Amino acid sequence: MSATVDLAPTVPRADAPPRPTKPRGRARVQHPLAIVIFVVPFGILFSLFYLVPIGYAIYQSLLVIEREGTFGEAREVFGGLTQYVLVFQNGPFWESIARVLTFGAVQVPIMLGLALLFALLLDSPLLRGKRFFRLAFFVPYAVPGVIAAIMWGFLYSPSLSPFSAVTSNINFLSADLVLWAIANVVTWVFVGYNMLIIYSSLLAIPAELYEAARLDGAGQLRIAWAIKIPLILPAITLTAIFSIIGTLQLLAEPQVFRSFSSAVTSTFTPNLTVYSTSSIPNFNLAAAFSVVLALATFILSFAFLKFTQRKDEK
Amino acid sequence: MSRTKRAVVVALLTASTVALVGCSTGGSSASGDADAASCEPSTGQVDLTFTSWIPGIEDVVDVWNEANPDIQVAVQTGPNGNGGTYQNFFNQLKAGNAPDLGQIEYDALPNFRVQNGLTNLAACDGVLDAQNDFVDWTWGQVNFGEDDAVYAIPQDSGPMAMFYRSDLFAANNIAVPTTWAEYAVAAEQVRATGSYITNFSQSDINQFAGLVWQAGGTWFENDGTDWTVDLTSDASVTVADYWQDLIDRDLVSTNPPWTTEWDNAYNTGAAWTWTSAAWGANSIASGAPDTAGKWSVAPSPQWQAGDDASGNWGGSSTAVFTGSEHPFEAAQFALWLNTSEESLTMLNESANLYPAATDGLTLPVLQEGVEFYGGQAIYDVFADASSTVSPDFVWGPTMTQTYNDVSDGFKAAVTGQGTLLEALTSGQTSTIDALKAQSIPVKE
Repeated sequence: MSATVDLAPTVPRADAPPRPTKPRGRARVQHPLAIVIFVVPFGILFSLFYLVPIGYAIYQSLLVIEREGTFGEAREVFGGLTQYVLVFQNGPFWESIARVLTFGAVQVPIMLGLALLFALLLDSPLLRGKRFFRLAFFVPYAVPGVIAAIMWGFLYSPSLSPFSAVTSNINFLSADLVLWAIANVVTWVFVGYNMLIIYSSLLAIPAELYEAARLDGAGQLRIAWAIKIPLILPAITLTAIFSIIGTLQLLAEPQVFRSFSSAVTSTFTPNLTVYSTSSIPNFNLAAAFSVVLALATFILSFAFLKFTQRKDEK
Repeated sequence: MSRTKRAVVVALLTASTVALVGCSTGGSSASGDADAASCEPSTGQVDLTFTSWIPGIEDVVDVWNEANPDIQVAVQTGPNGNGGTYQNFFNQLKAGNAPDLGQIEYDALPNFRVQNGLTNLAACDGVLDAQNDFVDWTWGQVNFGEDDAVYAIPQDSGPMAMFYRSDLFAANNIAVPTTWAEYAVAAEQVRATGSYITNFSQSDINQFAGLVWQAGGTWFENDGTDWTVDLTSDASVTVADYWQDLIDRDLVSTNPPWTTEWDNAYNTGAAWTWTSAAWGANSIASGAPDTAGKWSVAPSPQWQAGDDASGNWGGSSTAVFTGSEHPFEAAQFALWLNTSEESLTMLNESANLYPAATDGLTLPVLQEGVEFYGGQAIYDVFADASSTVSPDFVWGPTMTQTYNDVSDGFKAAVTGQGTLLEALTSGQTSTIDALKAQSIPVKE
């Protein structure tokens, strides 16, 4: 085991050219105008579709409604953190966060495990028909999430499913199982996508490493375990972060399943809570929910990144 | 900071300021309770936009456009109100780009009014006079019981009756129930054949409200200074306990409504009755096409034998949204749409709408037998039902939320967690909270 651990980090370092030391006090920028021209389109779009909406949501979340009389005209006035107090008092919202965390704790490892397995199989010399399998695994990702959810909804449905022999006995849409039925849909859609990210990172590993390993007598399994996986860890980390974000923001699948299942409520996931709050309409509370959800997502992703980086440094 | 960096920062800041300004000017909307005093005709060609979900509404609007080259209406269709169109309306109102006209069910009108979404049409030519053209209780829904106020033009109503599979009841020698007690007995007999007497809808809370309405209950009151929320009155408890019992004994199915699964149950004879509104005639015909000719319509089962009470489910109005620049023309179109014989006939033929206009009730098309229902003149039943609908039912100002929360509870109840009554009780609490959150005065 110790030999393999050494192998991975040392080899690329030996290959790498010596780093040029950065000159202190940079030279004058060559084409200032060009840089501006390149940055401005991005800057405008980034502000329009990212900074402004976020700013607007934060602004909305700080307002409260005031009115007089049963049909009095609503006025939005500054209310400080009133909406945030309501968010923290809202039981169903935190239950929904706990629900998606449970979901993620089970679904993300399974999905990424499968994605890794498929990527390694595609990358191994043992598999034939690689192109076909690469496409076949990826195809579900080309199906829009809503369509996938509708399709699986019908597959799960007790009387309409082509597998009604199974679905009439096991109710996949019941309160106990529907979360995992949704997990299955999400896994089905995203395994191929994550597989492709991992696979492309596998392709970037120089072939000499495998040659060297084979000369040292390593088999395919050993190569996968001791060379490939350590080298593609950054890609796996990336897919994990994407998945954590995706999990916290689950919306389309549960929204579609609301019409199939009695067990999916209007507060099933955090984003559904936001959606149904905005349909009251209570935009201010919905904005506060969104801001808290965004912060929670940020903290979780960042914590995961820190955690994996610390492991790398050891 | 180098010069270029500064330039970039300045450019970014400028860009975002421009964007922000763009947002704030677009977002500022006119005051909500529009002055009833100002409703002048516009000059020149007027283009109106109208959002609705009635099947076949495009053809009706085409007829208007042919006859009124100066007032052209562009119609946009969407999902039914609670299925997404109301949310779009709320978002559009917030963004200041709502259509001129929109279809809104009576139960959602207070919700839109409290969000300053509706234009008071009372000053528009012919609108106040139109009161006499409409069934009383529908007018009460659009003027909120106030003089000099008309917040929408009534379109149709949804008096409730019982659709039932007359062929199956006859073939199995089961008496068609006339009271809810008989209905429960029939439910057992139907269950013995392997089918269900009906499907209890976990998310049509407005249907449940219709049943409470029939039992003499009401959910809200508005005394002018405060709202009262009363989801758990005696009538509500009676209705909730009744259906809870049927659910507990597995005498009704609990498929989510408006799904293929649900259609399938009706299409294959797995469900035999549906207590629904006049417009429901269209839902059965389109959802269960294989059962053509096998359905009939009978009055709703009664709580006391010999009673004569009906509830109402749905029914829409045509409202003019805040921000419309042409309320006069919009009101003219809404009046034509909902009172002209031509329009009402088309709406009935394409969507089985049961008009709110009194003249509409004598339309030839409403006297005829309907083929899908074995040639029965089904609107006779709905006409009787309509005359027994209590005019006193009041809707709350956050019905979307009330429906969502009660529906969450009903969903739990049909999956064996909690009861319908518990759902109403928690809906009561959450509705009061939602009202408070919007500073709407409410009695506890």
